[in-house]
Amino acid sequence: MPFNQALCLSSVLLAAAAFIGLALGTSLPEWLLLLTGTSLIVTLLRALAVDRLRHLLDRIRLSITAWNILTVMAFVGFWVDLLWVSADLLPAGVHFLLILMVIKLFNLDQRRDYLHLYAISLMAILGSAASTTDLWYLPVFLAYLLMGVWTLLLYQLTKETDPGHNVPSLSEGLVTTPRGRQQITPELFWLANGLAVGALCLTVLIFFTIPRVSAGFGQKGSGEGLRTSGFSETVDLGMIGPVKRDPGIVMRVELPDRTGLQLDRFYLRGMAYDRYDGKSWTTRLSHRRALAESPAGTFTVRPVSARSPRPLGPIIRQTILLEALDTTVLFAAPYPESISGQFLAIQSDPTGAIYLPFPASARLEYTVHSRPTPIAPADLQFQPAVYTEVFAQHFLQLPESSERVRVLAQEITQSKTSAYEKAQAIEAYLSRNYRYSLDISSAVQTRPLEEFLFERKTGYCEHYATAMVVLLRNVGVPARLVTGFLATEWNEYGNYYLVRQRDAHAWVEVHLPNSGWVTMDPTPAVSETVGDSQWFAVSRVIDTLRLRWNRFFVQYNAADQLAVVRGLKEGTTVVRDRAWSSLSSLLAPAGDFAGKLLSRVGEGNVRLTLGFLSFIALGLGLVIWLVQRKPWNRWRYSSASHREHVVITQIYRNVLKQIARYGIVKTEHTTPREFLLVVGNQWEAAGESVSTITELYCRGRFGKAMLTQQEIDLAYQSLRQLTLIDPPSR
Amino acid sequence: MKSTQLVSSIQENIARVIKGKSRVIELTVVSLLARGHLLLEDVPGVGKTTLAHSLARSLDCSFKRIQFTSDLLPSDIVGVSIFNRQKQGFEFVPGPIFANIVLADEINRTTPKTQSSLLEAMSEAQISVDNQTYPLHQPFMVIATQNPAEYHGTFPLPESQLDRFLMRVQIGYPSPEEERKVLERPQSLHPAEALQPVATAQDVLALQQQVDDVLMEDSLMEYLLAIILATRQSDLLSLGVSTRGALALSRAAKALAFVRGRAYCLPDDIKELAPAVLSHRIMVSRSQGLRHRSFEQSEQIIQDLVESVPVPV
Repeated sequence: MPFNQALCLSSVLLAAAAFIGLALGTSLPEWLLLLTGTSLIVTLLRALAVDRLRHLLDRIRLSITAWNILTVMAFVGFWVDLLWVSADLLPAGVHFLLILMVIKLFNLDQRRDYLHLYAISLMAILGSAASTTDLWYLPVFLAYLLMGVWTLLLYQLTKETDPGHNVPSLSEGLVTTPRGRQQITPELFWLANGLAVGALCLTVLIFFTIPRVSAGFGQKGSGEGLRTSGFSETVDLGMIGPVKRDPGIVMRVELPDRTGLQLDRFYLRGMAYDRYDGKSWTTRLSHRRALAESPAGTFTVRPVSARSPRPLGPIIRQTILLEALDTTVLFAAPYPESISGQFLAIQSDPTGAIYLPFPASARLEYTVHSRPTPIAPADLQFQPAVYTEVFAQHFLQLPESSERVRVLAQEITQSKTSAYEKAQAIEAYLSRNYRYSLDISSAVQTRPLEEFLFERKTGYCEHYATAMVVLLRNVGVPARLVTGFLATEWNEYGNYYLVRQRDAHAWVEVHLPNSGWVTMDPTPAVSETVGDSQWFAVSRVIDTLRLRWNRFFVQYNAADQLAVVRGLKEGTTVVRDRAWSSLSSLLAPAGDFAGKLLSRVGEGNVRLTLGFLSFIALGLGLVIWLVQRKPWNRWRYSSASHREHVVITQIYRNVLKQIARYGIVKTEHTTPREFLLVVGNQWEAAGESVSTITELYCRGRFGKAMLTQQEIDLAYQSLRQLTLIDPPSR
Repeated sequence: MKSTQLVSSIQENIARVIKGKSRVIELTVVSLLARGHLLLEDVPGVGKTTLAHSLARSLDCSFKRIQFTSDLLPSDIVGVSIFNRQKQGFEFVPGPIFANIVLADEINRTTPKTQSSLLEAMSEAQISVDNQTYPLHQPFMVIATQNPAEYHGTFPLPESQLDRFLMRVQIGYPSPEEERKVLERPQSLHPAEALQPVATAQDVLALQQQVDDVLMEDSLMEYLLAIILATRQSDLLSLGVSTRGALALSRAAKALAFVRGRAYCLPDDIKELAPAVLSHRIMVSRSQGLRHRSFEQSEQIIQDLVESVPVPV
């Protein structure tokens, strides 16, 4: 099969594959199915050079003007379809696309027509991809891919062999130059199919191996989560210390409603611990339950009923972007009420800590609604409290502690009656009398608490918090140790807290009889060593950009895509409604007029009716005249002539190549007319054809004259003649 | 087309007198339509003067002939201010330059001073006498004839003046048959005198206007400039072609295209005219030998240079 014919064939098959995809994926009206299907079959038969059909079709060829009018009508139809018939962008677009395809199929004359057809096919296959997830799409897509490879290959091959007369037109002869007669060899056949299969394999490979969202392979420090000591089920005293020197970023906490909230110290609660054995903290309340999900993606941490009798604080909404960590704990401001994000399941333990079922391998984004517990006024006075045995077992548990600690606890809280006052007193005592320092020798201490309280009097958050819990429990106030992060680094450009490893913190929760668990922190506020210099402002701006990038690009996924599409759809509906209302308001006077007219006709006012009809006829006549005479051709002139200018030059070059094959070479110093003389002398038979083409070439090339289609055809004809006459005798 | 007919009728009219020299006649008409001046260089007696005369007769416009001799003065050409007794003042008496077609016969027989007096007239189409400027008639064309430089009693034309001629053309001897026809003609009347004008001065001006509209495509412009550049870079030449020369070639090519009935130039036009338009504007370097400024040599050099410039496709 010659290249040109194969190109026609593969192009039509490409379009057919795209059409089948659309026909199966979307519900199309029958007439459109029939029309497009018939056009495809007819074109296919033409491409297969069924001669009788071709002659028949050539006879009923429409003019270019007619096709243009059809295209314009199709465009108008598209709007009508969009606004009234299907009233939706996708189906209306698909209908329009198919009509364009039909029009193009009957107009495959120039190379660019083929390009248009490919573009339409591509859009059609994309449209069908958007409309279906069914399995039948796979074979259709494979067919499309195969035809795509063939078409690209043939398009390139025909371009190389035939730069001048690059019109693998269906209506003209398919063979133009001897090289255009090149056949598809078995090697080429297998090469093309092999390429298609190779491309497919590569695509499949990429599809399955390259991660698509939020997990960059080979990214620094990924694969395993960031090491975060202190968020396991045991906390050894002295574990957090080393972590506190690490500036690695753990999470970013956005507070959309921060305005109005005074949060200098923003706590992000991780886990709570109830049992202290003198050296380390453990939690015995580790049994987790799955949280109920309602609505989809939102998990309720504390049911409304559980918190109803207590007074409520303001809701703090946080959006947290958590780096991949080696723990399953999810952090949130105390006390979370609901958490939403793209989770399959969320678990919680009785202390209110939230967990993922397994550690996340990638960054996570989730939103939490929290309410801090305000102190109930009743708790400011002494309230007798009776705790259940189980409760006391957990939160009043003490290690075999020394007498000194108990004496100290009683000393501090001597004059205080209520639990809250006692807690405040201890908090104040610790933060006032002890020095904060991270430089603690990591030598194993047998009794770290006593050492902190009575000997060294220097320590960091864990020591403070442990001391406070133990002191509180010694005076009968239930308390527990909590670990998490204390965010202090506010990024004013992006309105979020930047939380680093070194913000890891431990603090205390005290149980008050009326209020419940209340956050308290004996650790003195450490004066921030990082100044608010310009440099840090810059780094904060950069970090803001990083957050945005992550939010809008890395985390962009199917759900976001869907949201965008939905937004678009709603947008078009809005536009359609607006257009319709404004149009109807515009058309209202016309409608009135028509109504009056009709009533007049009913009354028998024939003259007016005739006048109106002739007015319409006149308008139509004007439109037809404009289309026929094309007064706009004046400005089209230059571009059109430019095209023919190129075409005729290409033909001339082809002539030169043809003749050069017989050893008659036009040196670059020879002018066209001189060369004509040379040809006339050396190859008399070719003289006439070459003379015709030279004349047209000179006129088109140097005269910038607009050659008529007949003249171009004449040039092609002469070019073809050149291949048919006898070669010159040497 | 009317203008094409007009052009060919001028050519035919001249051809009645000048036998077998259609190319020279064509070039003459090209010079006229390109608003240029023509330098005819040849041995005496081959019809230089007759050609100019015939052209003038073919057009219905004024014609003056100036015989250049060694004692000719500038005022003999441009005119002179003479004291008028009656009016008690000087009065300008126009010289023979005030005509549409001026034949400067044997221009190289006069002194450079007198030759230069033609300068302003030829390039500006006006003359200045006693701080007064007088415009010349339109159309205005100088046809100068000269004998080859080797002849006795000649002053070679200065370069500046040579540059002002659109082209330099050699007439050459006619073929024996053509010469026989000349002899067979009745000798009583000068053949040019019998010619009837076929075009008016207005016609000529209109034709010149149309020549300006002839299209020279961009790539041809490049081609032309490449030729000009080649003359400047050639080792054989000590003086290349000036910008005026480039302009002249472009105008001449347009005029030739017009004369041949086209509204656009072809590379052929440029290539064909290059020797005639450029050869008198160059100076062959001394290393090229004795026949300094000989007609054939410089035309040959131009011809070779043009052959080295690629033609746009």
